[in-house]
Formats: sequence, structure tokens, C-alpha cells
Amino acid sequence: MTAQRTRPGLSVPRRNRKPFYLGVVVVVCLLGAAHVLAGRATDFSPGALVDGWHGMADFLAEAFPPKLDWDKVVQPALEACLVTLAIGLLGTTLSVPGALLLAVLGMRGRNPVVYQVSRSIMSFLRAVPDVVFALIFVTAVGLGPFAGVLALICHNMGVMGKLWSEAMEEIDSGPADALRVAGAREAQVIANAVLPAVVPSLVGLLLYRFDVNVRASLVLGLVGAGGIGFLINQSIKLFQFDVLATYILLVLVLIIAVDLLSALVRRRLND
Amino acid sequence: MNTLLDTGLAVRGLRKSYGGREVLKGVDLTVAPGELVALLGANGSGKSTALRCVVGLAEADAGEIRVAGTSLRGLSGAELTRARRAAAMVFQQIHLVRRRSALDNVCAGGIAGLPLSRSLSPVLFPRELREHAMACLDRVGLADRAHDRAGSLSGGQQQRVAVARALCQGARVLLADEPVSALDPAAATQVMALLAELAHEDGLAVAVVLHQPELARLHADRLIGLIDGEIRLSTPAALLSEEDIAALYRGERG
Ligand SMILES: Nc1ncnc2c1ncn2[C@@H]1O[C@H](COP(=O)(O)OP(=O)(O)O)[C@@H](O)[C@H]1O
Ligand SMILES: [Mg+2]
Repeated sequence: MTAQRTRPGLSVPRRNRKPFYLGVVVVVCLLGAAHVLAGRATDFSPGALVDGWHGMADFLAEAFPPKLDWDKVVQPALEACLVTLAIGLLGTTLSVPGALLLAVLGMRGRNPVVYQVSRSIMSFLRAVPDVVFALIFVTAVGLGPFAGVLALICHNMGVMGKLWSEAMEEIDSGPADALRVAGAREAQVIANAVLPAVVPSLVGLLLYRFDVNVRASLVLGLVGAGGIGFLINQSIKLFQFDVLATYILLVLVLIIAVDLLSALVRRRLND
Repeated sequence: MNTLLDTGLAVRGLRKSYGGREVLKGVDLTVAPGELVALLGANGSGKSTALRCVVGLAEADAGEIRVAGTSLRGLSGAELTRARRAAAMVFQQIHLVRRRSALDNVCAGGIAGLPLSRSLSPVLFPRELREHAMACLDRVGLADRAHDRAGSLSGGQQQRVAVARALCQGARVLLADEPVSALDPAAATQVMALLAELAHEDGLAVAVVLHQPELARLHADRLIGLIDGEIRLSTPAALLSEEDIAALYRGERG
């Protein structure tokens, strides 16, 4: 470093750029206006929250202690939790074949028409919320868990298909090239180079979606797809807030358990 | 001369264009069994393309390639694949399956001749293949790491596993494209020494693309220099001069 000679006092050349302070001011003003309008549209009013505090206090007073009657509350709730879990499970696993097909067809660098069609199908399935799918299927199969499963299959096929096709596009073709040079046939290359690289990330994404889908099936229960969401809806309608508190505690346990499980497995997958 | 070439590599008049631009303009290259030849040249001079044409990762426009005494000209399908199998390639990026064990990676080099029912998963690999792969791992000094995941090995060890995979393929010609560019100096020296041993002791024909002339001078028997897709230098390693090096990299470092 000491041997290096530098020219002293070299001035920093001016960056040739339009003054951007004006732009910043305009953006801040627009954002501010948007927030004011959004506050009006949502009846946003801290005053209402303060005035109504005793409503919340009443609710909490009734909710505690939670009602822990085994036969009437806890056991039915546990069964309903299992239904919610089952909706999430079937909704995830039964969407695997469709998601895999869409993902493979939707990989860049294949037939461009097939690529576009498959991308469009996935975008559509992603854009329609699972609740909307559920309402559609209810008209065919009636209220109940089955409609929830069908709804999750449709929505998840789009989301997981997209995640999977991106994961498959990312894998490095190097190990496959190395086996091709060694004279391996295409099936051997796929089995010994492509799949070992891609399967762990596909499984990781699958577990992540299972996690999300269990929570989604809870919400579907609120609109009639059965499970613990349905019981929560009922208890609210009947003002049984102590029962509701029990349900919410069990839901917390369920969500945390699923979350921990899927995180644990995913960590094992990533080395 | 001919007897030598019966087991080595001989390339004549190799030409290759990409999008109308000639990348290889008639390259002649001979590597005898027992010889380590280093390929030098500036970035973009066509070194990788030449090796990729030999192993079939790129398709040559013209020229003849003889691998271990068999000309690839006029061959196709299974015959071409079998003839090509005598040439193996080692890459700068190593290209192992990181999640699989070192041994399973080496085995993968030898699955070409197996039926699908024995080759779609490591648990199906026949015992003879595993034993052969073990011997190859031992040859590169990594028998004790056979069951370690490839991804857990150091860069130098991974590159030696890749060399073992090439040996398991049964190659008589070993091509290496900048095999030590991503390695630290100690690991680079170890891998270069291994490649030289495979040439001098096991009689393989070894061609290595290097970007450090010093390494080439140390480990290679003969040096070949590429400038813009043409061979412009061929000299015993001991006779490489500073002017030669300057000429090779003139376009790049000037
Ligand atoms: N697949 C390809 N498509 C188009 N051009 C390529 C391709 N591979 C190599 N080239 C071009 O060919 C020339 C030689 O490349 P390469 O053989 O990789 O050089 P080197 O290995 O000596 O650095 C470069 O100009 C490169 O851009
Ligand atoms: Mg190169």
C-alpha cells in the first residue's frame, strides 16, 4: 500500500443526473393522498376503537376461563381439528400429479406454445382464491369438507406448479452433462443426476404448501367446509365465547405443530 | 507413431462455428498414451469448445476425431456412444451430485453399460460396479471417504472424486477443462500431480486446459497454445519461453 502513489486532490466527477428531489416530493404526496383515501374507504377510526373498549373487555371476560368440558367441547374440537388437517393433507397431496404436469410443461426452453398454455393455466388457478373455488364446488357437492378438498386441489395446483417449475429451471445441467459424457442413457441421466438434485427442493416446497394449506382449510371451514373453522363460526354465532377460546387454543396448537414439523423436515432436507 | 495413437487421442482439422463465427479453424491435436498435454490460450480462444467436441457436448462441423484407436467418423447411435466412452471429461465446476456419497458418484461413471433395472438408483448398482468404483476411489486416494456425501468434501477432494468417476467410466483418454481453476494452490498441485500420475503410471492420454502457464510448465510434458481457434504453439514443457506466453495472452492482457 505504501508503495502506491496516488494523485492528490482529484475531484469527484459530477453524476449527470436530473434533479430527483422533485420526484421524491411528488411520490410522497401521492402516497399520502392514497393513505387518506384508503382510511376513509375502510372507516378507519381509532376513536371507535377507544369508545368500544368495553365490548372487547366483555368478550374477554366471557372467554376466560375457556370452557374445557371434554365431552361437549374438547373432544368434538379435536375431531374437527383432524378434519381440518385432513382437508389440508388431501388438498396438498392430490394436487401433486397436476402440479407436476403443469410444472414440467411450464418449464422455459421447451415448446413455447405448451409453455404459454401451461403458464396461463397456472396463473388462472393462482389468481382465483381457494374460497371462491370452494363456493363453486359447494354448488356441486354441497357444504362439507369434500368441497374444501376440491378447492385446495385447484388453487394449490397453480401455486405449487409455479414454484416447482421455477425450482426445476434452476437446477444445474452440469452433473447431467457429466453422465452423458460417460455414455449414460437419458433415463439413467434423469435418475442419477436430475432427480437427486431436484427432488429435495420439490419436497421442501410441498411441505411448505402443506403448512399453508392447513391454515387455508381453517378459513374454508368458516365458509362451510367443515372442520374446526366451522365450529369456530358456530360458536361466534351463538355467542359462546368461552367455547370459542378453547377452539382458538387448539387451533394455535395445531398450526404450531404443523409449522414445526414442516420446518424440521425441510431443514433435514437442506443438508 | 501409429501404434501410439491406437490408444490415445487424435484430432484432425476440427472446425466449429457458432452463429457464423468460426471458433475452431481446423485444430489438429494429438495426445499419446502416457502423455500429459496442457492446452493454453486466452479466454475465448476455443479450448473448451475443442474438448466439448471430442466428448460430444458440442457437435463439430468438420474434422476427424479418433479416440483410443477408433474413428468417430461415420459412427452413430449406440456405436458412437460406445466409442466415445473411451474419453472422459473433468470440469472446472466438478459437477458431482452433492447429496450422494462419493462412491455413488463414482459408480455413476460406470452405469452406461448396465440395464435400466440395475442403474436407476444406487441401491440397484451391481456389486462388481461398486467394487470397481471403490478401486477407482482408492486410485485417487479417497477410499476412506467413500461414504461421505460429495458435498461435504473439500473442493480438491471433490475434483479427485470426479477424476475417479472418469476412471470408473473406463476411459483411456482423460480431458480436463480448467480442473484446478477453482481450487486453492495446494489442492491444485495435488490434482495436477494426480493427473500426471494417471498419464505416466497408468498410461492414460491426458489433455488439460490450464489458465496458469506456471502449472503447465510444472506438470505437463507438452504444451499446446491456441490463438483464435488455431494451434499456434506446440512445445515441450521445458522449452516454454516468456515470449510464447506473452504471444498467447496478447489479446487478453495487452
Ligand atoms: N454454446 C455456445 N454458443 C455460442 N457461442 C459459444 C458457445 N460456446 C462457446 N462459444 C463461443 O466460442 C468461443 C470460444 O469459447 P470457448 O471454447 O469456451 O473458449 P475458451 O475455453 O478457450 O475460453 C467464445 O467466443 C465463446 O463465446
Ligand atoms: Mg473455457
